[in-house]
Amino acid sequence: MRVLLADDHPMIGAALELLLRGTDYELTGRARTGAEALAQVRSARPDILLLDVNMPDGSGIEVLRTLRERGRAPRVVLLTAGMDDPQLIAADRLEPEGMVLKTADPALLLECMEEVGKGARWVDPEIAERITVAKHRASAKPSLTPRERELVGLVRQGLRNREIADRLGVTEGTVKVYLHGIFDKVGVENRTELAMQAAELLGV
Amino acid sequence: MLLASAPNLFKYQSGRVVALGRVMLASLFLVSIWLDRTQSGAAAQRSYILLLVYITFALALALATWRNWWLDARLALPAHFVDMAVFMGIVFSTNIYTSPFFVFFLLPLLAAAIRWGWRATALTAAGLILLYLGAGLLVGGGEAFEAQRFIIRSGNLMFLSALLIWFGIHQRFTQLFFHVDELHNGLPVEADLLVQTLRISMKAAEAGSGALLLRADSDLDYEGPCMRNGVPGCGSVEQPLISQAALGQLLFNLPGNRALADHARGRFRFCKASDVIAADDLSELGAAEGLIAEVRSGTRQGWLVLWDMAELSTDYLLVGRELGQAVGAVLDRAALLVAIEEGAAARTRLSLARDVHDSVVQFLAGASFRVEAVMRASRSGMKIDRDLEELKRLLVNEQGEIRGFISALRRDRKLELADAVEELRALAKRLSQQWAVDCRVGATADSAAIPIRLQLDVQHLLREAVANAVRHGQADRVDIGIGVDQGQLRLEVRDNGSGFSPASAAVQPWSLKERVERAQGSLDVSSEAGQTNLTIRLPLTGGNG
Repeated sequence: MRVLLADDHPMIGAALELLLRGTDYELTGRARTGAEALAQVRSARPDILLLDVNMPDGSGIEVLRTLRERGRAPRVVLLTAGMDDPQLIAADRLEPEGMVLKTADPALLLECMEEVGKGARWVDPEIAERITVAKHRASAKPSLTPRERELVGLVRQGLRNREIADRLGVTEGTVKVYLHGIFDKVGVENRTELAMQAAELLGV
Repeated sequence: MLLASAPNLFKYQSGRVVALGRVMLASLFLVSIWLDRTQSGAAAQRSYILLLVYITFALALALATWRNWWLDARLALPAHFVDMAVFMGIVFSTNIYTSPFFVFFLLPLLAAAIRWGWRATALTAAGLILLYLGAGLLVGGGEAFEAQRFIIRSGNLMFLSALLIWFGIHQRFTQLFFHVDELHNGLPVEADLLVQTLRISMKAAEAGSGALLLRADSDLDYEGPCMRNGVPGCGSVEQPLISQAALGQLLFNLPGNRALADHARGRFRFCKASDVIAADDLSELGAAEGLIAEVRSGTRQGWLVLWDMAELSTDYLLVGRELGQAVGAVLDRAALLVAIEEGAAARTRLSLARDVHDSVVQFLAGASFRVEAVMRASRSGMKIDRDLEELKRLLVNEQGEIRGFISALRRDRKLELADAVEELRALAKRLSQQWAVDCRVGATADSAAIPIRLQLDVQHLLREAVANAVRHGQADRVDIGIGVDQGQLRLEVRDNGSGFSPASAAVQPWSLKERVERAQGSLDVSSEAGQTNLTIRLPLTGGNG
């Protein structure tokens, strides 16, 4: 079985090389960035890609997404030392064949590679649990303070920051800071998205 | 003495100004038509009587309302209608085209603009213009009619009205008279911010006593500083001081059970104090007559209460609105500054967490993979001495790294450049052993204080740069230069590796670039056969905290 390793940390790279020594897996190459990983998948055509999530120039998630779009791709085992909620949800949607925690027992990685090699799917139970929690957190409605609710109401009316500042008797800068706080809380990018979700947020 | 006290006599006393203006205008008018008999027109007798009655009315009104804000508010609208009626009477009874009746037009218009805002000004102007036109048409048939003068005066009336309505719309009067610069210019964020804000509010309103009682969402009571006749203390109330949310600010008189609020559209609203405010709480604070203004900020809501004013007037409703908003803005600004400081601290914490994750956690993960590999090799009868030796070397090396990291974290002060260079020399020595490369640090004799975050960044950049030089360029010599240049820390790394062409994307130092960008610095790379130069500049202040 041909294996390509994509991980930017030198210690992990050298250690995995050592771990695969004497097994049935043949290490065909090593990539240190997302772009390198994509290029080497094309040239080396590995059976399994061991893919680190946090890499410069294209994270593991982005590499996986590109590979899924390309169609014919190697089986992918995501390696992670910790992912945040959006990463967990994004990774889950792309359905990699394997997901392994770097901090778990290294024997699990070999077990995962074996299962994935056979065509099965293997996800570390701890990661599966974290994905469930992350999904639950993402679906829970964020709670807004009375002032934030007031602001969302004004955005919903289509008022500009200047007008909102006048209404609330604060500066335009303060309105901006509050709005960005609300954007983060609600998980939207801009005021249009916020206005679209306003009715649901305010429960009206 | 009189001059010095004169401004206070009329400060926040527009009711007084209007009342006094009414008396003086009427008196002047009487004098002017008495001196110039042609102006009195046909009905001279009627004009004199009307004016004398009006002057008496104006005097009585001024005296009655001089120190009584409640009566001033109560009589404001009736007096306004009397002014307009007198305007009409004067237009009819004097020689309309030559008399200075014009001044009577200004009084109601100005009074409306000052007291009630643009709607009342517009209504007053419309009423007065209609009256004037009506009078013009009635007199128009007579011989004395001068169409040109009539049109010019009508135009003047409209122009003046438009100007005053515009002033009213833009609330120029409020801002001109009641702007509290000290609050708007911003206060330093200190522990006694609320006390300072209360002091400034009391000074602005010329109040002898005051309290600023606030509550965050999670608090039960409204609490805050209280100042009674200059004696500081603390105040607390359990319930909202104004029970009707729509009333942002009001004047109260507990002995008379009176409360006066202003309507959103500029009209006065007369209430029983017991119906709209928590009278018992106010009595407990020691306030019998004064002003309550609601204060709202993003995180807190509450009340500014001011009492013991020498001269309370209806203008204090505007003072209250302005002060309430200004205090809210002060609280918002203070919260913003705290949030910015906390944000910077949180960013540093996150960035340190990331460093620990990138170095320690990844290292330990790698080490456990190695142990697993060694165990498997041992089980299959392979020799493991060399692997164990390598693992030991890596562990010892990492120990040094972690020790350096922790000692940087322990410091609660900045590092002198010379000390930072010493730490970099120790790191260079470890890197020399790790990568089998000759790694040397040279430094200028600059003096600068290096923030911990920056020092950790420089160490990481150096690790990455040396790793890149060996991995990609097979370098065996790396020279590092460090110095301070125009408020920036300058790090130069030169290696004798194979070099690369600038177009080569594969060897772009991504990990360096990412970290430099996060620290808001700049990175220049130049490379030729046998040499690669990196120049990194990082700001000594700012950056990622």
